[in-house]
Amino acid sequence: MSEHLSRDGFTRRRTDRVAVFGWLVIGLFALSAVFAGFLAPYDHSAQSRSEPSAPATTIHFSGLTPIIHPRRVEDPLRRTYTEDTSVAFSVGFFVRGYSYKLLGIGETDVHLFGVRSTSGIAPRINLLGTDQLGRDRFSRLLYAVRFSLIVALSGVLVACLVGISIGGVSGYAGRLMDTFLMGATDAMLALPTLILILGVRAAFPLELPMTRAALLLLLIFALTGWAEMARLTRGLVLSLRKREFVVAAVALGVSQTRVLFRHILPNILPSLRTRALLLLPTFLLAEVALSYLGVGLQEPEPSLGNMLTAASDLDQLRSQPFSVLSPALAVLFFTLGVRLIGRSERV
Amino acid sequence: MIKLLLRKCLQGLMMILIVSAVTFALLGFAGGDALTQLRDNPQISEKTIERLRSVYGLDQPLPIRYFRWLSGAVTGDLGESTYFRVPVSGLVWARSVSTFLLGTAAFAIALTFAVPLSLIGVRYNSTTIAAFIDLLILVTASTPRIVLALVALALSVRLTLSAMDRSSAVLFWLAASALSAPLISVFLAQLYGELQRTMREDFIKLARAKGLSESAVIFRHAVRPALNPVLTIAGLSLGGVLGGSVIVESVLGRQGLGTLMISAVRARDVPLVMGIVLFTSTAVWLGNALGELLQAVNDKRIRDLGL
Repeated sequence: MSEHLSRDGFTRRRTDRVAVFGWLVIGLFALSAVFAGFLAPYDHSAQSRSEPSAPATTIHFSGLTPIIHPRRVEDPLRRTYTEDTSVAFSVGFFVRGYSYKLLGIGETDVHLFGVRSTSGIAPRINLLGTDQLGRDRFSRLLYAVRFSLIVALSGVLVACLVGISIGGVSGYAGRLMDTFLMGATDAMLALPTLILILGVRAAFPLELPMTRAALLLLLIFALTGWAEMARLTRGLVLSLRKREFVVAAVALGVSQTRVLFRHILPNILPSLRTRALLLLPTFLLAEVALSYLGVGLQEPEPSLGNMLTAASDLDQLRSQPFSVLSPALAVLFFTLGVRLIGRSERV
Repeated sequence: MIKLLLRKCLQGLMMILIVSAVTFALLGFAGGDALTQLRDNPQISEKTIERLRSVYGLDQPLPIRYFRWLSGAVTGDLGESTYFRVPVSGLVWARSVSTFLLGTAAFAIALTFAVPLSLIGVRYNSTTIAAFIDLLILVTASTPRIVLALVALALSVRLTLSAMDRSSAVLFWLAASALSAPLISVFLAQLYGELQRTMREDFIKLARAKGLSESAVIFRHAVRPALNPVLTIAGLSLGGVLGGSVIVESVLGRQGLGTLMISAVRARDVPLVMGIVLFTSTAVWLGNALGELLQAVNDKRIRDLGL
């Protein structure tokens, strides 16, 4: 018995530590989404036409201060660059750059890091290199995390609303309704979701402005993503319906909606929250897939999906695989983080 | 048994009908078809477009169009693709072969990982193996197919497989592995968990008490009852594989059902989109039905209940 207890205690502690790591990763993502403007040294759509498809800037050290050298294209076809070592610019923290809105309120132009210059003209520092139009990939990645997370998060919210309503009705209303709704849910769960999503997407024009594309994605996610939530909610509602406090509430003449919202829903909310969290990567991946295929969020706004289209430039993929695939790495870390949290919350 | 089959067929038919109707309605209501883009061309008059619309039957109301499409579909005629200008059914069939091969390879890879590992895990019952299986489940479950496909692409570029070499066996297996990762986690988790649960059953204790060797206990008594949930999951994961093939095929440049779907969506080719949706949902339903049928074959209790 005591051995049992200590073992459980051990595994519990270990999973907790794993979950903390997961929360840390998710927290980092949330921070970079909120403070994208502050963390990104450049505007996500600002082009630097003299530096297309450049590799990451090399940071040198002169004593203790980090410096970079301006670079020039050596061979425009093979995209090789040479550094001009005669001039050096120091890299520092809290440098003034383009202005942006911090937290959506105050306008400021201070960035976490950047290149200092006295003359006003400074070379750009590209931690992850630049894309074909010379845009800073690091800055774009930060904004992409923001745009993709907003879409995924609202997708989860909408799908949860739809799913919880359907599941609640299914678990609480009569047999006939239940059979019908759960039949639909089972069918939905078995269907090839991505193909359905693409089918729905085909109904709308290919080129859409940012906000309308995001709204369309939300609609599609709600239409195709509610089933899992509905199935879970129904199961939970069914198991609670027979419990004494619900039976007592019904016996006291409390109205059906009140029983559902005041007595049942608060009790199943924690389980629903965990599942909603686990849905987040699903929707993020759906956005990534659609944008990668060119039917989701579109340029010039960056998203994790449309940034990955750069991988079709095989030369750049060969020479800078890490930079080109950095959005994929971000997606990987995000899903891993959520999984780690989900693992310890599942009982 | 026959009752079970009939009920499955009816369910599948209903599902396919509803899905095709909803997709058709959405494609119709959104107002926009392959002819919408022709309006941008100043050389084509409104009259010509109207005439074309009546040629393709697009001037008819939506329900009539749906029934026309449906009656064609029953006889295997899915109409003509407005983009490729060939019959949809032939196009879908031709492209589905490659996707079918890829999917089968992915299933095979997943099974070659999941089956031996879970058997070894149950047989030797060591914490190291259990931890390894746990880690493998976590890693394969949280690595998205698109990430794996892109890594496979980067690898193939590194290995200097040129663009002309796209049909090579190496690339095929890379694509299949990218497609199989989530399957590995699902199969492994299900089979391993189910085997562990079965090993605690009374009939296992009885088999051990009879003096059977541990391997004989596992192979003769534990595997069969543990197989049922795995069959369900295998049937259910077909949809995910078909969806994932869209990503894997387009990243790695393979011609298959997935890439066909993308060109159909880009060209707003309604008959082709409908054809692929119909084909894939039928395939998924067939997979589910097959899974349940195999369960009935495997488990006499299900057969007798007629469930």
